[in-house]
Amino acid sequence: MADVIFIGLSLSSILLLIALGLTIIYGAMGVINMAHGELVMIGAYTAVMTGIYLGFNLIAALPVAFLVAGGIGFLMERAVIRHLYGRLLDTLLATWGIAIILKQAIRLEFGLSFLDIHIDGLGTGLQNVAIPAFLNQPWSIGGIEVQSYRTFIILLTVFLALVTWFLMYRTSYGIQVRAIMRNADMAAACGIDVKKVSSLTFAYGSGLAGVAGVMMAGFKTVSPDMGSSLVVDGFLVVVVGGVGSLLGSVASAGFLGQVNGIFATYSNDILARAVVFGVVILIIMWRPQGLFSFKGR
Amino acid sequence: MHAFVADRRRLEFLAYALFIAGVLAMPLFIDAFWLNRIAKYLVYGMLGLAIALSWGYAGILNLGQGLFFGFGAYMAAMSLKLQSYTSLQQGSDKPIPDFMLWNAEPNAPTDLCCINEGSFLWLPFQAQWFGMAMAILAPTLIAYLVGSAIFRLRISGVYVAIITLALVLLTRLLIIDAQPVTNGFNGLTDLGWLTIGGFEFDPYMTQTYYLVAAGMVVVLLATRLLVATRAGLILQSTRDDPNRARYLGYNVAAYQVFFFTVSAAIAGFAGMLYVIAAEFASPTFMDLTFSISMVVWAAVGGRASLLGACIGAILINTIEASVSESEMLQEGWKLIIGFLFVLVVLFMPRGLAGLVNDMLDRIEAMLKPGAARPPATTKTAAATAAEKPGE
Repeated sequence: MADVIFIGLSLSSILLLIALGLTIIYGAMGVINMAHGELVMIGAYTAVMTGIYLGFNLIAALPVAFLVAGGIGFLMERAVIRHLYGRLLDTLLATWGIAIILKQAIRLEFGLSFLDIHIDGLGTGLQNVAIPAFLNQPWSIGGIEVQSYRTFIILLTVFLALVTWFLMYRTSYGIQVRAIMRNADMAAACGIDVKKVSSLTFAYGSGLAGVAGVMMAGFKTVSPDMGSSLVVDGFLVVVVGGVGSLLGSVASAGFLGQVNGIFATYSNDILARAVVFGVVILIIMWRPQGLFSFKGR
Repeated sequence: MHAFVADRRRLEFLAYALFIAGVLAMPLFIDAFWLNRIAKYLVYGMLGLAIALSWGYAGILNLGQGLFFGFGAYMAAMSLKLQSYTSLQQGSDKPIPDFMLWNAEPNAPTDLCCINEGSFLWLPFQAQWFGMAMAILAPTLIAYLVGSAIFRLRISGVYVAIITLALVLLTRLLIIDAQPVTNGFNGLTDLGWLTIGGFEFDPYMTQTYYLVAAGMVVVLLATRLLVATRAGLILQSTRDDPNRARYLGYNVAAYQVFFFTVSAAIAGFAGMLYVIAAEFASPTFMDLTFSISMVVWAAVGGRASLLGACIGAILINTIEASVSESEMLQEGWKLIIGFLFVLVVLFMPRGLAGLVNDMLDRIEAMLKPGAARPPATTKTAAATAAEKPGE
């Protein structure tokens, strides 16, 4: 039983890692970022590239991926998303376009493929990233063997969730974000630089996606297509948890991860995912505002 | 000249007539290979149209349209699979899909009723009409049930998108998991041909093209007439302001369910025609990418215009097919699609159809004697809806 819970916990932590950035972007800014999965993918490729060219291991790649994905997110917000605030479904479509662009950029090696120049680590092929040796040995608590890499992911997720919580609820920046979340016009009237805060928030959420990507690279093969299905997972977590609620995302990631883990143990992975989708549909129909949502007007 | 441009109804009629004439004249200009391709893109055109109906007219963004397309495709493919010579081989006189024989238990009876646990589901599909009827009825029924559940609860906007998205992905997983009955990831291939009254529709024959083209033209015209009815107008009012429509005494949910179902039936019919032309059905029809692609086509063509969305789908796919000769070009084209899509959302939220409309406004203003009218005042209701915040 304990090992089933650990599998669930490990699935939950990955879900949360992906959803954490989305919670902020969707919750605070009302943007459905379909390119979120591709930002995760960019993070994974950052791990691949820094490994090849700079000899970084996964942990050293974390801050780099945060900066790279965050930078791309910042540019996305400035170039496209800024013009689409308040048009929720349009943001979905535009970011889908951006997702294709990011995917193709990696596939075509930033266009160099056309000139027949190939960069090691990019392109359509699959890439692998080695896990640092000290995260590779299993260790045991209370008689159960657990993988140390999975444990590391769980700890990192908890850490990032705490940092995000601190940023959002204990800093003046967080107060500004939450003010914009409730009412952007009113926030602007109170002297908050909505544009600046929005760009930074978007960059921060994107950076988190990059970090998630590095962790994914440790246990999944890295490919340009790896992001597409992740964004759906992220969204389900955010919507079930309640828009803009950090606690909700944590709870729903925990819940969906356990559901997935339990069903995967007793049937198979495909059915387990199907059950998760089913549960999500029922929850949205029952409470479209999500399980933990603040009372809006 | 001015009166001609100003008469938008007549211009629209002309556009429809030109488009339909073009579609019907296509076999005069291209060979069998391309004719088959274009037939598939006409089917995609129907999907664009179905999206425009639910998204542009009803304000319901369905990100799971692939569910209905896929169901239609699978239902039709099941009966065509049983017609296929591959199902009659291996020492059996009763048709059994080849993949069932390959995967059968060593001592399972070689009969469709009980070769494996789920194979009895295939029994009625021995009759071809059953598969073709189910291709439309099954999506219609599913859409009715799903739509009733969603719209009675007054779920709207992005939540509808997420529910339909989760639903199509859920169904895709179930189909992959039900491998003994559906052939899982591989889908249904090696299908037979549709046979009506002894005539076999070879996918590369002109007759098959006309079958698909006629189906599309009928759907296009019927849908265009449908949105001009009283029900269609009420539907548009529920899109613009559901609460006001409710206050005026209309049963908003009923209209939404009806048009959601019609849109699903069109997608199911499209799935059926696709299988006839393309000779396969696969779980990729229920991929996230495919369902979103349909929305992309409709958005580029014009979400508020049935004809625009239809042309958008055909155009994008035809261009894609012409550049797909080399892999590099194909990848490059995808990149262009990405950019194009961002630009369309940013600068032409009403798509190609909106662009044409704006150009006509300009011409009208130029031709009009005296004061020129600024084009901004001639926005249609659909255009305002497209820009409505929070949708």
